[in-house]
Amino acid sequence: MEFAEHIKTANVEDVVLRQPLQPPSRGTLCITGHHLLFSDREESDSRQVLLLLRNIDAIEKRMSGSSGTITMKCKDLRVLQLDIPGMEQCLNIAHSIETLSCLDCVSAMYPFFYRPVDLSLPEQWGLSSPEMHYSQMKELYEKWRLSTVNRDYSVCPSYPPAVIVPKSIDDDTLKKAAKFRQGGRFPVLCYYHKKNGMVIMRSSQPLLGANRKRCKEDELLLQAVIEGSDKGYIIDTRSMQQAQQARMTGGGFESKSFYDRWKRFHRQMERGKALQESLIKLVEACGDESNNMDRWLSKLENSKWLSHVQNALSTAGLLVECVERDGHSVLVHGSEGTDCSLLISTLAQLIMDPCCRTMEGFLGLLEREWIQARHPFQQRCAHSAYSHARLQQESPVFLLLLDCVWQLWRQFPLALGFSEALLLRLATEVYASDYGTFLCNSDQERCALEVKERTHCLFRALLRPTERDYYSNPLYERTELAIWPSVHPQSLQLWKGYFLRWTQQVRHLEEAQEEIRNMVIEWGKLARS
Amino acid sequence: MASPVSVYNILESHTPPTRKESLKMELLSDVSLLPGEERITDKDIIYICPFSGAVKGKVLITNFRLYFKSSDADVTVTLDVPLGAISRVEKMGGASSRGENSYGLDITCKDMRNLRFALKQEGHSRRDIFEVLFRYAFPLSHGLPLFAYLSQEKYAETGWTIYKPVEEFRRQGLPNNKWRISFINKSYDLCDTYPTVLAVPYKSKEEDLRKVAAFRSRGRIPVLSWIHRENQAVIARCSQPLVGMSGKRNKDDERYLELIREANDTTKLTIYDARPNVNAVANKATGGGYEGDEYQNAELIFLDIQNIHVMRESQKKLKDIVYPNVEESHWLSSLESTHWLEHVKLVLSGAIQVADKVSSGNSVVVHCSDGWDRTAQLTSLAMLMLDSHYRTLRGFQVLIEKEWISFGHKFASRIGHGDKNHADQDRSPIFVQFIDCVWQMTKQFPTAFEFNEHLLLTILDHLYSCRFGTFLYNCESVRDQHEVRSKTVSLWSLVNSKVDMYLNPFYTPESGRVLYPVASMRHLELWVAYYIRWNPRIRQQQQSPVEQRYKELLALRDEYLKKLEQLQLSDSSTSSHLANSPTPNTTSSSTSTPSQQYTHLQTPL
Repeated sequence: MEFAEHIKTANVEDVVLRQPLQPPSRGTLCITGHHLLFSDREESDSRQVLLLLRNIDAIEKRMSGSSGTITMKCKDLRVLQLDIPGMEQCLNIAHSIETLSCLDCVSAMYPFFYRPVDLSLPEQWGLSSPEMHYSQMKELYEKWRLSTVNRDYSVCPSYPPAVIVPKSIDDDTLKKAAKFRQGGRFPVLCYYHKKNGMVIMRSSQPLLGANRKRCKEDELLLQAVIEGSDKGYIIDTRSMQQAQQARMTGGGFESKSFYDRWKRFHRQMERGKALQESLIKLVEACGDESNNMDRWLSKLENSKWLSHVQNALSTAGLLVECVERDGHSVLVHGSEGTDCSLLISTLAQLIMDPCCRTMEGFLGLLEREWIQARHPFQQRCAHSAYSHARLQQESPVFLLLLDCVWQLWRQFPLALGFSEALLLRLATEVYASDYGTFLCNSDQERCALEVKERTHCLFRALLRPTERDYYSNPLYERTELAIWPSVHPQSLQLWKGYFLRWTQQVRHLEEAQEEIRNMVIEWGKLARS
Repeated sequence: MASPVSVYNILESHTPPTRKESLKMELLSDVSLLPGEERITDKDIIYICPFSGAVKGKVLITNFRLYFKSSDADVTVTLDVPLGAISRVEKMGGASSRGENSYGLDITCKDMRNLRFALKQEGHSRRDIFEVLFRYAFPLSHGLPLFAYLSQEKYAETGWTIYKPVEEFRRQGLPNNKWRISFINKSYDLCDTYPTVLAVPYKSKEEDLRKVAAFRSRGRIPVLSWIHRENQAVIARCSQPLVGMSGKRNKDDERYLELIREANDTTKLTIYDARPNVNAVANKATGGGYEGDEYQNAELIFLDIQNIHVMRESQKKLKDIVYPNVEESHWLSSLESTHWLEHVKLVLSGAIQVADKVSSGNSVVVHCSDGWDRTAQLTSLAMLMLDSHYRTLRGFQVLIEKEWISFGHKFASRIGHGDKNHADQDRSPIFVQFIDCVWQMTKQFPTAFEFNEHLLLTILDHLYSCRFGTFLYNCESVRDQHEVRSKTVSLWSLVNSKVDMYLNPFYTPESGRVLYPVASMRHLELWVAYYIRWNPRIRQQQQSPVEQRYKELLALRDEYLKKLEQLQLSDSSTSSHLANSPTPNTTSSSTSTPSQQYTHLQTPL
């Protein structure tokens, strides 16, 4: 990949940069294959702004006379403006940004070039693997096994090579069950509740189709999950009607007659386009510079973002009720099982399991549920709220997860081992990153592109001592209890730290949080000394 | 922390029934009465809980509170309501009413909740309890004393001495060569709703003050509330000028404002009229008005804050959407239509303008109509922004005592203490709105206030409770008549006797910092922990572990400061830096911030 062909003008002098929370500054602009670099000319304190081109979601150019202005709207919701002298230079720069910010070729992306001096490429990429996870969970050994039926990704291209399944089910049965599930995503274990031995399983929809096919092996597999228990629950993240309609296109749901010990709940969760549009509306309302703010609350409501938050938390709450309070195992799926299923199983684990609430635990959870079990990050996060490009597969499901986690953090200020800053960092990295963690759509793609060999892992970087300190929650106190979120609209708040991030007020709050963190750490140090 | 009911609404909840034996114990034995509190009556009753349905139990009425405890095995409900919080008691249903629980009492409270009780229909069973409630909830309407006069509570601290006007003026650097302390009102004959001690321009003579008083509504002349130590700009407060339809002028008033302007060579004195422009004009019809062009060197700015009636209606609408049932489907737009947050925004942004003007060196005069509602909000909030002393636990008490209590915010009329007339048009949640504004500021500046949310909630609880004398009566002259200071206990006695409960562990004193909150709808929040606190499903979860953790942190901080002090004593070379460092109990007077202390600490360690 030659970046040079996209860069007709690499350097421009005398550019004015305007960015939020800072006075405009004059300096030199430089475009490279992956970055936009701006260096302040003021000699007193020379400042630099280094922006990943990938972070730029949309640009607008405006020409006036011999100069032009480029407005860059970033995926981290920042809006920057460049005043560039010279029409041709301005057009060249704009062209470079437009092209380089949305290159499709994954192996040309910055994580493959990012080589910081203080980091060497790791022996092990990621925090764990399904194999390691299984080997550490001794409770699983009796009834569950690690299957490598997918070792060459042939049974399910989107699953990792090793998955956890009931011990009594052999690989042949799995292969057949996989054929009955969309994309081959047969039911696998994603969480084991140590308190009562109940589990959360995850899959895609069964392929019943219009003539109501059935699959003995799939039934057998699910039967094995609730062996020794009177019943299990299925949480379908679609409405009953949607699930029925899915039969017309070959999908469907587990019918009562063939899965008689499973009780099904339908909870319609928005995803895909509807969710993306909600984000767009919300960001638009947040960025509304007009003084006429009378209708702010209505606009916030109309964006529906907070109802999506509410819906996700309440569906996760239902899942936890089934497992923790009612004491039964649950299978979660929607259609593909790569979006809302992951969202609610992740939230449920945070609510139930104190081990997932530490910083390592949380990052490990994200790795298991979103990286290994495959959320198609490449497709979902290609663009954010500002892009004018026609929407394809974009959907801010991961951002919605982070927002829900933030709501948990706000309602339970002591229960999570990490801080809002970590959630903000993840929300930025998922759209544009130096690290390879959120590249690609699946484990298989990651292997094909040697992501694990050629890029750095964000999660490992975040757990280095200095970073870990920075992202820890100073008030953290482990609790073994479930943290049941309140899901009433009165209990949910706009995540200002993210959506109003580039305002002075939120910056003040960030500073205050930082101050509190330092204070508590300092007191603790002295108390121990 | 476990949620008591299935909130995600599919599975039934399985609350294990409590053993019957445990219920044999006397239901009401766990109430600990206050010294001076007396049992009046108790009765078997059914509480119609909006959240758990009808709950059988027993109610106890004392001369201070209504206490209810459930006797049902599976639901534990306890109510502990000071009678002062009750605004209205009504009979519900008649002897012939049909339907279960249709006969009983409906109680409306001032603190955003209603209570409904059902009784057996036979034998006029509610007559006694209704009469007792009516009598003791509205003692003033029945020739009875307020509970504050019956209380025998004793505290280690005396709250009545927290605010001493002359001392507070001295703290501000007064008197000086531009401002003097006047005792002209010592027997309340200049203005019966003002305090006795006033700060006025040095050059003004006592007879000038009397002439000005004649031209200001209810004699509330412009007096100094606060002075900026460096630039000498002041916040002065007053009521509207009595301009009237004919557009009267008063040379003395004009000259007097000129004296305020000259005191620090402000080129243009800014007069903030809290009202909307149209209201100010309308006030001319009743003899009031606003400063016109005849006031040379003055500019008049209207702050568009609505009157007490609008605020009362707004709060009523708010109550409608949060109690008993919270609006679910269109919460945000319903909240918007109450306009409550918009009013909060206007009050805050008015105060910001005042603070900004003063910190840039220009004196201001603030008034509304009578200068005891919106004016008090604006001056006190601006002072909270400008002066970090008022952000300490004791400084905040001084602020309330000074700007609200001593300057005659009509607490008795606005709250209606002990008065049965629930529909009185004088009632209005002006002080609640002020506390809401303070809460918004504490949210926006989590390290800038020495006190915590619990203090604000406690203040609002006792705004109604009538347990303390602090918020009783309309002004100082009436308070003197009723000997409030000698016959009742101050709320600050309670607070200052157990300060730990009210302290913010993360408080970082920054003496010179002016706090400008953002008064934009995007950054304001509904104070859920106050307005929706009666709903068990919305209540902030895990409250007690958080409080516990904060207490531990406070202890840790104290220990830290103690160790710091030791280090400071043992290391004389750094002691000069640390001379001002706070001791655990007197953080308020400190000027160095903890973060500064950390850097000093590096060396000795």
